[in-house]
Amino acid sequence: MTSTRKVLNWIGMGLFVLLGVAATIPLFLIIIDIYSKGIDAINRLGGLWHFLTSEPPSPLSKSGGVGPPLIGTLYMTALGAIGGFALGFPLGVYIGEMRREKLANAARVGVNVLVEFPTITIGLFVYAVMGLVQDDLNRYILGPVSATLKAALGNSVFYNYVSWFVGPLDSFNAYAGAAALALVMIPYVALITASAYASVAQPLREAAYGIGGREFNALFIVMRKVVSRAVLTAALIGTAKIAGETAPLLFTAFGNNYYAPFTGSTGAVSLWIYAASETPYNVQIMSAYGAAAVLLTIILILFISARIKAIHD
Amino acid sequence: MTKLEAKNLQVSFGNVAVITGLNLSIPEGSITALMGPSGSGKSTLLRVFNRLIELYPEAHVGGYVYLDGQDIFEIDVIELRRRVQMIFQIPNPIPNLSIFENVALGLKLNRLAKNRKELYQRVKTALEKAQLWDEVKDRLNAPAGKLSGGQQQRLCVARSLAFEPEVLLADEPTANLDPENTAKIEALLLDLKKEMTIVLVTHFPQQAARISDYVAFLYKGQIVERGPTKDIFTKPRHELTEKYVTGRLY
Ligand SMILES: Nc1ncnc2c1ncn2[C@@H]1O[C@H](COP(=O)(O)OP(=O)(O)OP(=O)(O)O)[C@@H](O)[C@H]1O
Ligand SMILES: [Mg+2]
Repeated sequence: MTSTRKVLNWIGMGLFVLLGVAATIPLFLIIIDIYSKGIDAINRLGGLWHFLTSEPPSPLSKSGGVGPPLIGTLYMTALGAIGGFALGFPLGVYIGEMRREKLANAARVGVNVLVEFPTITIGLFVYAVMGLVQDDLNRYILGPVSATLKAALGNSVFYNYVSWFVGPLDSFNAYAGAAALALVMIPYVALITASAYASVAQPLREAAYGIGGREFNALFIVMRKVVSRAVLTAALIGTAKIAGETAPLLFTAFGNNYYAPFTGSTGAVSLWIYAASETPYNVQIMSAYGAAAVLLTIILILFISARIKAIHD
Repeated sequence: MTKLEAKNLQVSFGNVAVITGLNLSIPEGSITALMGPSGSGKSTLLRVFNRLIELYPEAHVGGYVYLDGQDIFEIDVIELRRRVQMIFQIPNPIPNLSIFENVALGLKLNRLAKNRKELYQRVKTALEKAQLWDEVKDRLNAPAGKLSGGQQQRLCVARSLAFEPEVLLADEPTANLDPENTAKIEALLLDLKKEMTIVLVTHFPQQAARISDYVAFLYKGQIVERGPTKDIFTKPRHELTEKYVTGRLY
């Protein structure tokens, strides 16, 4: 190698390293900034436990937290992730394995479009659907169901708990929020699942059909075990993605600063951050930083467990 | 007794005809070696026998194949694949599943064991028959991908044997193995023919000579010649067969 080429080589390598560093610096800056401000805010607002359980601070109070929004985020994210995975996974298997079917191709195109959709439109869509079905749903299903439950359980404490989860729905409620989050997650899980299945080598596919018996077993049990790592990663990262979503919740869960039944407006940490950062009150802005630290922790835990799982295998 | 019989079998991929009116009968309780140049349709033929060919949507199959006189396309495909098992050139255990699970999974999915004790017993028996038990009995929970190539191939044999199949299709099972592991597989096949019918695809005339009872020579999608192994090697009737067994046709 001539010396000019060597020098050029070094410059090239140096540029790559620089680009790599440049790409990760903002990430670390954001994380450090949120945690330093967030931890300070949590301490000043009454400590971690208080912060995690109490209602958001009113403009003139000195302490507060993200209790109700945190419960809402956990509940809606869990439901949304279960729904998103339950629908996204089989859809992905269908798209990945039935590549020659016209309908599967149409589904693939649809999913590719859906994954690029602005998530606020997904929230609007669920809001519109909610408006269409709400009355009938309440009159014919949820009303009778909650009446039956009440008759069976009486006015017991237990019924009180149940009524937080089951009952006629308001137009803003946690289930609409969860549905919107599920819709955000479906195409994501479907695409990762589809590419994982499509990349399974033909010998393993033949093994799956050779030992699986019926096709359902071959696809959903044997081959799922082959791609389990990719699918688990998809599930965890998809969950992390929806845990931090704000836009799909604006018209569905709406937000709530108080502990309230999931059948009505429900808070979410992301919604509180959004609302609090708009106010002129310092105590609320502080709580937004604390809330951001809490949300980031949830998301980092999901990401890191996905990484650990990947390294462990 | 004829175990498997193909009559006027035709297979095409799209509009490329690969098997063109093939007739073959495979006697029960024997090893039939299937030989022929690369691309002559040997693997395709095996995939028809257990209907794995149906995983290839562009493949079209015509003609008949009978298992014990019964049309295989009328038999429930799940039952057929249980009775006609296959091992491949590249060992294909599920790499991230444990050694035990690789053998047990098929039994569980097909509900072939009534309880855990019976499941364990059947897995153990299959691993013993495949001459693998002694090497893995202390690490049944280790992932199958950690085994050596030869061990992986015997694990695949065990996985097939767990179904107690009537026919074992082996597609160049030793092509990727060293001589020692090859000898183990050959001994294993010889032992297994007491219990089942074996169809062995091989590129090695010596291997066919060592362990097969019959040889069928496949050329361009048809059986050119079939007969007892000794006859094929000592007095081949067809010029192509002679060329192949003497190494002048690939
Ligand atoms: N999925 C497929 N799509 C299209 N053509 C195929 C497909 N599988 C096999 N073929 C063609 O069918 C012919 C027979 O293939 P096959 O694998 O049965 O040959 P083979 O005798 O097993 O060869 P080898 O000894 O190399 O394994 C080949 O010409 C091959 O290109
Ligand atoms: Mg082949």
